[in-house]
Amino acid sequence: MLKQVMAIIRRELFYMWHDRGLRNILLWGSLTGLLLLYATYSAQVLKDIPTAVVDLDNSSASRELVDKIGQAEYLKLVASVASYDDLQELIKQGKAVVGVVIPENFARDVALGRQTRVLAVIDGSNMIYATNASAAVLTVTRTVSAQAGVSALVARGVQLQQAKAAYQAFDFSEEPWFNPALNYAYFLVLALALNIWQQCCTLAACLNVIGERGMKSWLQIKASGISKFRFFASKSIAQVFIFMAIVLPLYVLAFGVFKLPLNCSWPSFLLFTLAFAIAIHSIGTLASSFARNAVDAARFGMIIALPSFVLSGYTWPLEAMPAYLQKAAWVLPQTWFFQGLNYFAFKNAGWHLMSHYILAMLAVAAVCYGAAAVFIARS
Amino acid sequence: METIVAVKDLTQKIGKKTVLDGLSLEVSTGECLGIFGMKGSGKTTLLHILAGIDRFTSGKVEVAGVDVRKNEGFKKYLGLVTQERSLFHDLSAAENLDFIAALKNAGRENIDRLIERLELGEVLNQPAGSLEAGLYQRLALACALLNKPRLLIADELIGAIDLDSRRIILRELETFLAGGGTCIWAFSNADFLPHAGRVGWLEKGKITFYQPAEALARWNDRLQSLAGQGGDGGA
Repeated sequence: MLKQVMAIIRRELFYMWHDRGLRNILLWGSLTGLLLLYATYSAQVLKDIPTAVVDLDNSSASRELVDKIGQAEYLKLVASVASYDDLQELIKQGKAVVGVVIPENFARDVALGRQTRVLAVIDGSNMIYATNASAAVLTVTRTVSAQAGVSALVARGVQLQQAKAAYQAFDFSEEPWFNPALNYAYFLVLALALNIWQQCCTLAACLNVIGERGMKSWLQIKASGISKFRFFASKSIAQVFIFMAIVLPLYVLAFGVFKLPLNCSWPSFLLFTLAFAIAIHSIGTLASSFARNAVDAARFGMIIALPSFVLSGYTWPLEAMPAYLQKAAWVLPQTWFFQGLNYFAFKNAGWHLMSHYILAMLAVAAVCYGAAAVFIARS
Repeated sequence: METIVAVKDLTQKIGKKTVLDGLSLEVSTGECLGIFGMKGSGKTTLLHILAGIDRFTSGKVEVAGVDVRKNEGFKKYLGLVTQERSLFHDLSAAENLDFIAALKNAGRENIDRLIERLELGEVLNQPAGSLEAGLYQRLALACALLNKPRLLIADELIGAIDLDSRRIILRELETFLAGGGTCIWAFSNADFLPHAGRVGWLEKGKITFYQPAEALARWNDRLQSLAGQGGDGGA
């Protein structure tokens, strides 16, 4: 039996290696993806957000405010325009993402301790830019507003220290854990590259059964008397081995060269990945078992692999999805894997939680392989 | 003589068409049964059922005493040469022999002997898909004989192939039969009728058995009759 299994594994490895298209997709698809994604997110955080100012007051106080905006860590002053309409045009053309409108009589109102309204407009068409711009503007305006308040209190005869204390009654400090610099590369690069990997693997697994049955050599296999279970189990071992072999350089590059965080141990993370590789292979095998031909199987694979990453809750929190969609998402191994990626690579949430995730993915695999076996037996 | 193949009331319907219609036959050990018929007469369908490749609508089929619907154990006694080029085209001739031997759980000891007897030594490293028809059939026969089968099922074993390959294949077939093997060989070319020990003429889903000489005579009669009508007698 072992001889048969080894022969089938050898032939499958040989077949996958000699299929140039498949080899290139599997070998280079996710690696190229990782390199491109790392280059894309090499800035790691969004800095120098293009900012334009409309200073309708043109006073020393307003110019001071403009200077402070220009010095802000994440903002870059790119234009100073004369009117609100000009600002609107600038944002429409994409030359500025943030616009700050300083009203007339700004200096006078500040000096008199009156409330004055500085308008910060943000281009909301790009969510990532908008979220970062909003946080950056908020930081500046909070500081400027506090300084103005302290000045107003001092002007009313309050001691400087008392005025500062009034505005700093409590020190609200932020401390992002696990990704202190809120580094986009940490969050997105590996996950997106692994998304490419899982899509390639699912598509390859989709040919597991139909790729064989669609060939004339299927007659030889059927006539040989080998059990279908043994044959496809052996093929599956080879395919999962290949999936793991192609994710290894990805991990070496990501964790070893690009220094993306891996806070759990390598063996446990590889075990976690292996469970996922088995799960996606089982889904592909299931699709392959009832597909009428290879093209159909590839279609099924794409239908499963493409939206599953979105549904996994990695880019949009699961908790923010409708309840029925959350339930559906937890059926997908992609959800367990990409959620787990955060828990284990970033946070090292512990073996107890990881074993739970691994078991969930293996349960999906058991169900899919079982269903595939039924389809194969009936075919 | 022991019966190695027993078929009773075999019916195979594909869609609305009845390809095999209540067909019965028995093949004894050591016999060479030629299944003769026109293209599309159901020869391949019958052979695929006997080889346990296709399911069938009704009837009973036993090979080596095993009901093919209940158990696949009979396949270890079986060698199959298909009409279609069904070897692994991505593998070389040698790799095909190795891989099919592994699939059949057959030892490797028979490989060298078959390479020699079927004169495959010079093409072992060539991809099976690139072999010309005669060499391909020799390789297909070698693969079928790897497990030293008791029953060889061969579909159009010799078609349009070179004379040398034909000679080698027929020689190997004789050796196989002389060694006590049984062969069911389907063909549509009446030239091969004399090579069969008995002929089952498959027509309209029914099978009629003849001695080779009788089958040939009937074929010639039919050709003459068709020629008289101005028809084409090619099988």
